[in-house]
Amino acid sequence: MGKYSIGEFEEIVLLTVAVLYESAYGIAIKEDIETRLKRSVSVGAMRIALKRLEKKGFLTSEFGEATAVRGGKRKRYFKVTPFGKKALEEAMAARQQLWEAIPSVAFDFKFI
Amino acid sequence: MSNKPTEKPIPSPPKWLLAFLHWFCDPDLLEDVEGDLVELFEQRVTNTPRKARWLFAFDVVKLFRPGIIKTNEFFKTQNNNAMLFNHVKMAIRHALRYKGYTVLNLFGLIVGLTSSILILLWVNDEVEKDQFHVNAGRIYQVWRNMYQANGEVITTGSIPGPLGGALTNNYPEVDEVTYYSWELELLFRLDESVSYEKGRYVSPEFFSIFSFPFAAGDPASALNDPHSVVISEKLAKKYFGESWKTDALSKVIKIDESQEFTVSGVFEDVGSQSSMTFDFLLPAHEYIARNEWIRSWFNGGFSIYFTVKPGADLVAVQQRIEQEINNNTDNAADERLMVLKATDTYLHSNFKNAVPSGGRIQYVRILTIIAIFLLVISCINFMNLSTARASRRTKEIGVRKVLGAQRRTLGQQFLVESFMITIVAVLLSIGLVLLIVPYFNGLTDKQLYLDFTDSRFWMGISALIAVTGLLSGSYPALLLPSFKVTNSLKGAVRQSASSIYFRNGLVVFQFALSIILIIGSLVVARQMNFVLNKNLGLDKENMAYLYMPQDLTNRRDVYKTELLNIPEVKEVSFASGNPLSYGRSTGSSQWDGKDPNAEIEVNVLMVDLGFFSSMGMEIADGRDFSKDFASDTANYIINEVMADIMGFDEPVGENLSVWGMKGKVIGIVKNFHMQSLYEPVAPLIVRYSPPYTSVALIRLQNDIPKGIAGIEEVTTALSPGFPFQYEFLDASYAASYRTEMTLSTLVNIFAVVSIFISCLGLFGLSSFSADQRSREIGIRKVHGASVTGLVILLSKDYSRLMIVAFLLAAPVAWYYMQEWLNGFAFRTDLTLSAFMLAGFTAFVVGALTVSVKSYQAASVNPTRTLKDE
Repeated sequence: MGKYSIGEFEEIVLLTVAVLYESAYGIAIKEDIETRLKRSVSVGAMRIALKRLEKKGFLTSEFGEATAVRGGKRKRYFKVTPFGKKALEEAMAARQQLWEAIPSVAFDFKFI
Repeated sequence: MSNKPTEKPIPSPPKWLLAFLHWFCDPDLLEDVEGDLVELFEQRVTNTPRKARWLFAFDVVKLFRPGIIKTNEFFKTQNNNAMLFNHVKMAIRHALRYKGYTVLNLFGLIVGLTSSILILLWVNDEVEKDQFHVNAGRIYQVWRNMYQANGEVITTGSIPGPLGGALTNNYPEVDEVTYYSWELELLFRLDESVSYEKGRYVSPEFFSIFSFPFAAGDPASALNDPHSVVISEKLAKKYFGESWKTDALSKVIKIDESQEFTVSGVFEDVGSQSSMTFDFLLPAHEYIARNEWIRSWFNGGFSIYFTVKPGADLVAVQQRIEQEINNNTDNAADERLMVLKATDTYLHSNFKNAVPSGGRIQYVRILTIIAIFLLVISCINFMNLSTARASRRTKEIGVRKVLGAQRRTLGQQFLVESFMITIVAVLLSIGLVLLIVPYFNGLTDKQLYLDFTDSRFWMGISALIAVTGLLSGSYPALLLPSFKVTNSLKGAVRQSASSIYFRNGLVVFQFALSIILIIGSLVVARQMNFVLNKNLGLDKENMAYLYMPQDLTNRRDVYKTELLNIPEVKEVSFASGNPLSYGRSTGSSQWDGKDPNAEIEVNVLMVDLGFFSSMGMEIADGRDFSKDFASDTANYIINEVMADIMGFDEPVGENLSVWGMKGKVIGIVKNFHMQSLYEPVAPLIVRYSPPYTSVALIRLQNDIPKGIAGIEEVTTALSPGFPFQYEFLDASYAASYRTEMTLSTLVNIFAVVSIFISCLGLFGLSSFSADQRSREIGIRKVHGASVTGLVILLSKDYSRLMIVAFLLAAPVAWYYMQEWLNGFAFRTDLTLSAFMLAGFTAFVVGALTVSVKSYQAASVNPTRTLKDE
């Protein structure tokens, strides 16, 4: 992991931001995670994860245009940075490496 | 994600929650977080508005966490906040270090707060009654003041019918007018379902004046057709089953077996927030068309409500309307009209000399005062305990001062402590209220609940925390930091005489309040006993009564004979009205020598033979009606009040006429009460005229349930198809005093609560002082003092306080209870015994509380207390 420290939920959020590409803002990310992964996400938990990811430099964000809905508040769109992408790759590689290291008999669940 | 502006306004989430979010949220995150929440809310609100608000609140609360809460200014930079944290930490440690003391404090506060919250819920419900009408601010009711010859004024809401038309046509200020009748109990029949229902006659405008929402049908036109009826959801379900929404409209219901009415609307059940109650409404014009009498200026009829146009001059209406009856009746009697706000009449329903003079508002006031009492008593506990225990903390205060703490900071520390305890106590009380509310509702016959989504609830709770916290924390916060450093470090703080006086004063105050409540509860209970057991001049025990349907009134004699064949039926008679209200009154009675200008409103009751004997009434003079005198159908029996008004030395044999029917007075019946004991006995004329009687009065003996079963059999045999309904006279009588009974129970309960809280405080104080004097007690014991002597020594001071409290409380209680009793025309006297009993109770309970701890302290082996140091 080293310098790309990333938690499980953070990883999911970061991946989802990448999935949504240009339309990744709060509610869209929340709903995407909820429909894809069938887990409920609170606005608070997600917002904190986004904030932390941004602080770590994995994400950047900017405001969109104001609209009449949402009480006239602007949306904040998120984008994965190259550094974020690296973190994701690192995480995946780490897993891959671990998977490959598993001896084949470990998952050999036969009736004994 | 839509960018186009929408046309119709989208409901917005609760403002106060947004304000809360703005307050705590990090400004960098605020805009998009708020946007996200609002977007979620907008998605949810279209389907389930209520749930959406809940979820929104839930989301906001979940956001209240580190990471979202703004950090910079609030938590980090200011030293004050660091101190605040320190105070909180100290308060928690202190609370945990002295668990017994914390529990005592919390317990007292919780009991006080729970009681206060319950009472305030009740009060709020009373005050909010009828306020749900959209037009509440401009609905007025017309009242009629009848000026009597003896100088009294009778005020009634029953208004001559033609005034309705006059208001609509001649008063430009008036917007809409509606009649509202007395309560009817009519027989509803739809195929096989038959039962009696309660409702009223109203005008079609009723629904645009008052806000009773419809579940089906159009409120604007529902009552236009004279043969339409509007029913409640409850009735709709009863007669049309679960699919009433589609089935009920335009179905025909037969009412009172005679007329058919078409269901033209279904309104949502009238909730407890309305003082008007009805399960169905019929068009008033249908009744008016059938009844000549209600179209006359000379008869009181329906109640009348109206709305004034926004901004119209009400004073002009009031001035013009006053003489409206007198102008139209050629001043036949002096009757003046007045206009009062309709939403006020629930709380102010009593009148004295043509002005509102109380009603339920008195109970609202009494209970509000009790709520404040209880809160103050529990705050005093807190103050007393924390200042009394101050010597424990003098070293802490000394050290803090030496390290540079300012007075202000120390004061803050004690305030923080009191606020923390208060907040914990309030939260626990809310939990407790949730548990108790169902029982409290059963007791008070209300549907109270805590509405957590209502911002006013939270404002109320915050106010309660602020008041309680300040009240209980301010005195310790002022007093404790004022100790001198050198003394407090030596551990030799002598509390000044004034602070001890103050503490004793508070104890006296607490107990004085408790004694006032105890005296109050005793007096109220005594008056209730008096009312319920007063000799009414009639025998209300074992007396059943029922309203006879047409089938029975047509065959009175058969019905009577059959009833008397039942062995459990002792006597039967008939009368024209419910025994608790005469039903009819007139100003038209005439007798020789009556002042022609004097108006005297007299009640009239029509009876058949045997009425007086079966009701257990006594003929004071003359004779009862008898079938031996054929002329008795034209004769009258009057009560003693009426005899006084007529003014003859020997009224029996004098001429009397009612509604133009001439006859003679043949007897005088002793006064009996058929109405509220708030009123004096009214003049009454009794006429022997069986055809007008519709209430059967049946005296039972021996096995009552068997008797009722017998009556049911006879009744249903003679009038098949009518549901059998009866009531007992004593039960109906008791029910008319339900408000007073509820009040009595509440005052009893809260009097016990108040003495309990006071004793908790006293217990804390006395155990503390016993603790402080443990060495003194040890030395006294070594020198031979007895345990009894020591207990007396330790309890003496407190006993003196109880006596002072009693002396202060007694006159106050005497004054206010006399005021309350004055509202009853028939009342008990304030007896010394109630005061003695209250004083004695408080004294004994107080003394016992103190002596428990004193005894403990006095019986400790002196070696244990003397060995330290």
